[in-house]
Amino acid sequence: MRRFIGRHGRGVLGLIIAALVLVAAVAAPLLVAQDPLQSDFAVGLKPPGTPGHPLGTDQLGRDLLARVLYGARVAHFIGLCCVLLTAVVGGLAGLLAGYYEGWLGAVVMRVADVQLSFPFILLALTINAIVGLGLRNIIVSLSVAGWVVYARVVRGEVLSVKEREFVHAARALGLGRARLLLRHILPNVAPSIVIVGSLQFAQFIVAEAAISFLGFGVQPPTPAWGSMLSESRDYLYVAWWLAAFPGAALAVTALGINLVGDWLRDVLDPKFRV
Amino acid sequence: MTRFTTLLTALAVLFGLAASAPAQDRARAKEVVVAFAAEPRTLLPNTIVDWTTNSQIEHIYDRLVDRDPKTYKPMPMLATGWKIVNDTTWEFALRQGVKFHNGEPFNAQSVKATMDYIKDPANKTHYLPRWSQVKEIQIVNDYTVRFITEKPWPGLLDRISESTDFLPMPPKALKDQGPQALLAKPVGTGPFKFVQWVRDERLVLERNPDYWQGAPELNRVTFRYIPEFSARLSALLAGEIDIMKDVPPHAVEMVDRSGKGKVRATVSSRINYLALVNLKPGPLQDVRVRKAIGHSVNVDELIQQVLKGRASKMCGPLSPLNVDYTPGIECLKHDLSRAQALFKEAGVDPTKLQLTLDTPSGRYPLDKDISLAIAAQLQRVGIKTNVVVNEWGTHLDKIKNRTTGDMFYLGWGPALSAQNTIEQLFQASQTYSSYGGNKVIDAKIAQAVTIVDPKKRLEAWADLQRVVQDEAPWVFLWQQHDLYGVASWVEWNPRADEKVWMYEAKLAR
Amino acid sequence: MRAYLLSRLGQTVLVVFLSLTAVFFLMRLGGDPVLLFLPMDIQAKDLTEFRQRLGFNDPVAIQYGRFIGRAIGGDFGESLRYKQDALGLVLERLPATLYLAVAALGLTFLVAVPVGVLSAVRRGSLFDVFGMGAAVLGQAVPGFWLGLMLIYLFSVKLGWLPTGGTGSARHFVMPCVVLASFYAARMARLTRSSVLDTLNEEFVLTARAKGLAEWVVIAKHALKNSAIPIVTLAGLDTGQLLGGAVITETIFAWPGLGRLTVQALLNRDFPVVLAAVFIFSVTYTLINLVVDLLYGWLDPRTRARAHA
Repeated sequence: MRRFIGRHGRGVLGLIIAALVLVAAVAAPLLVAQDPLQSDFAVGLKPPGTPGHPLGTDQLGRDLLARVLYGARVAHFIGLCCVLLTAVVGGLAGLLAGYYEGWLGAVVMRVADVQLSFPFILLALTINAIVGLGLRNIIVSLSVAGWVVYARVVRGEVLSVKEREFVHAARALGLGRARLLLRHILPNVAPSIVIVGSLQFAQFIVAEAAISFLGFGVQPPTPAWGSMLSESRDYLYVAWWLAAFPGAALAVTALGINLVGDWLRDVLDPKFRV
Repeated sequence: MTRFTTLLTALAVLFGLAASAPAQDRARAKEVVVAFAAEPRTLLPNTIVDWTTNSQIEHIYDRLVDRDPKTYKPMPMLATGWKIVNDTTWEFALRQGVKFHNGEPFNAQSVKATMDYIKDPANKTHYLPRWSQVKEIQIVNDYTVRFITEKPWPGLLDRISESTDFLPMPPKALKDQGPQALLAKPVGTGPFKFVQWVRDERLVLERNPDYWQGAPELNRVTFRYIPEFSARLSALLAGEIDIMKDVPPHAVEMVDRSGKGKVRATVSSRINYLALVNLKPGPLQDVRVRKAIGHSVNVDELIQQVLKGRASKMCGPLSPLNVDYTPGIECLKHDLSRAQALFKEAGVDPTKLQLTLDTPSGRYPLDKDISLAIAAQLQRVGIKTNVVVNEWGTHLDKIKNRTTGDMFYLGWGPALSAQNTIEQLFQASQTYSSYGGNKVIDAKIAQAVTIVDPKKRLEAWADLQRVVQDEAPWVFLWQQHDLYGVASWVEWNPRADEKVWMYEAKLAR
Repeated sequence: MRAYLLSRLGQTVLVVFLSLTAVFFLMRLGGDPVLLFLPMDIQAKDLTEFRQRLGFNDPVAIQYGRFIGRAIGGDFGESLRYKQDALGLVLERLPATLYLAVAALGLTFLVAVPVGVLSAVRRGSLFDVFGMGAAVLGQAVPGFWLGLMLIYLFSVKLGWLPTGGTGSARHFVMPCVVLASFYAARMARLTRSSVLDTLNEEFVLTARAKGLAEWVVIAKHALKNSAIPIVTLAGLDTGQLLGGAVITETIFAWPGLGRLTVQALLNRDFPVVLAAVFIFSVTYTLINLVVDLLYGWLDPRTRARAHA
């Protein structure tokens, strides 16, 4: 039993937390009666404990508990979309770069370098010009910034897997390149994609806060923890709850997901290095 | 400054012991620290139109003609008097006995050299278009100059006293060393002398004991640049800074109670409004729809609930602080039944209406929140409003390119004269206008700007005020209240024309 | 070796060139470059005249050619906002950012590596649990939030530290902590997993069997081999620290390059953005080169392959 807790305790804790957050996101309408989008300026900036508003209200009189719960939905949405996009694009790029080394590999890595060497906010600004502010901007911006990590990791993995014996054997047997890639290399690289994905999930949710800080947050009245945190800056001294609760939600969610990610890594691939 | 010396200075500053002194020390030494969100874009006067930049430059340079802090009418400064000689000539009498910080005398040469600087295209100043109507400056004698204009320009006095549109520069220094020298070491006639500018960090000025109005009470003025609003507020509460602008209405009580400072408010000449765009096809091209929307918005509720009373309601395009304002305009009442009647008359069903409202965020007090509140109010008559929050540059771009939604939120200021307000905002040819295509208004404006007789001018603008208001091009909102956080030991009152001038600051008794 | 260096330097030039080109064209998508610099009462014809004078009415290809031609000579033009040499402006701000980045990196290593190593060595202990818990939190809390909390506590309530700006060693404390928190957290976790892996490798078991003292085993053998991923991350982080200190610099009014770049971007100040991107590119790719050279020293097996 002790060993189980030692090995898997963290993972279980993480799973519990992540599950709770997921439940909050899915069941939000059932858990709270208030509409997170409904403003009522007569009750603006009320502290926690006000009747009808256990966590208080924001500057427009919207219920904070409702906004925090519905914010979980947006967080999951952002995390999921970004992870999917970056895994597919980055994974593909990494696979190709690692497998077909040579000029293709160099091109992919140089593109990554070029992109990494200019400021992230430029991406957000440019994307803003094309799709405007809002969830789309956030997802696209974060994905564009995030595929590089995948590409690097996957490429590294492919490079090392390529040298393994069973791959040499398969090649000697005359297996075509595509089949080699799909049937043999990809399955071995998949665990690292999953691990990075789980860790990145939390990162993307936290990064939404940074994007909102820079001014490219979600459009009102959509509740998103990051933009709620960013807006709370103006009310720091008069309404501490506006920063405390979304911040706590963010921290707890990230904690849970990170714990799950760490556990996944221990379980799937103990020899894995980022 | 060479890059190497800059590097050395940076090192010295970073590791130097120049930490900020606590408030009591500053009070004793009579040093005030003012916090702005950004540093000046230049220290050359008459070059860039930017409130932050010019607020700081004005401590070093004086205006030719100032504005009275109470009536906001033009007041003598470096010019002691003026008169119109003929249709195209204004004559100014200059103050005698004034010296620049480098010892040069202020006289007619200075005025001419300054205008030459502005009109030289090589200097690329923003003020060139503003002075394009001036053909030349004639020197009558050492202390009398004449501005010769191409066409009659009765508004010249407004322009020259508008804000920092004409700050005399030292002619000899300008000629011998060129503008770049003045950029490195500004030389003016103002109440404070330049000491040091550490880029993006602070600007330090010291008292000019020979100032012609009498030396200022303060010994030193330091401007610090803190871009993050909550950090600025924290600095005020920690006693690190003495003056900051734009304390939001909900924080006023907290600052007052903190014991570190008080909030001082003034009604600003800057106006905020909700533009109802008629420049593209849509329901808002019908004046009845616009009026109906005006009746649907409850401006009083917005002021009370969102701004906590910190705004002064307006009924027309000009505020009472505007010199060309004429009272007597009636406000559009908040009247939902009247709104419904007007919608019906125009054949529009408000419950089927879907409008878009573009707003900036953080540019004007609670702009985003007000926009959302307005959307909620319009919902009460059934109109569905989609609020689009824009980054500031994008917002301006959209307005200029006429790609905003049906409505947009904007502010305008300092709006101290009708020409700079009505002419700029109600004609299709103007960059930031939301309304246009009205030939009657266009003609009236073209006529009004040429009238020389002050009484007739006032009548023409009064007429225009009424005509514009009738067209309901905006939901007229309010004049901002400027809320400044001021340390307890400083006695200073803000001005409606947004001039932040430490010459007026004294020790609290 | 020389051939390798030359080839890498060549690639550096290529990357910098590509970055500048990409940014040049991307910025044009962001909106009118001149609008934000002129007063709001500007007339349409004056607007056009300003654009003409600044060269923005010419076809993009010509503007680009002009830009590259001047950039090669080190002339990135004049800042639209400040009317000052763009590259000069950028270089003026660079030292402040560098000092902060170096200090933050130093703090990161000082804290993260020992914590990571100890956590790995004492796996499962209370220290490990708390250490990694803190690390996860460090990555979960947004930097600006942490910064504002620290300012509230240490500046407003306690009055121990200044709210921002520069001027003394005390001004470094909070910005460094905020900047380092994220990277130290990540580094600690990485160090831990890296050391854990190495601790199980054969050569370590051999060293232990030889009877070497534990700390020698760790320091000499385990650390050197687990250093590769650490060094990779450090390389990535340094590049990001230089460009990513934006939030910290804004909150603490630190007069650095990150803040200047963001302001320039939001103000559409093209020359300054391009000059800043140039500096970032050069720095970043040079750091990559150093990291790869370090690889060669740390792990002879990789010396042969030309790592990207």
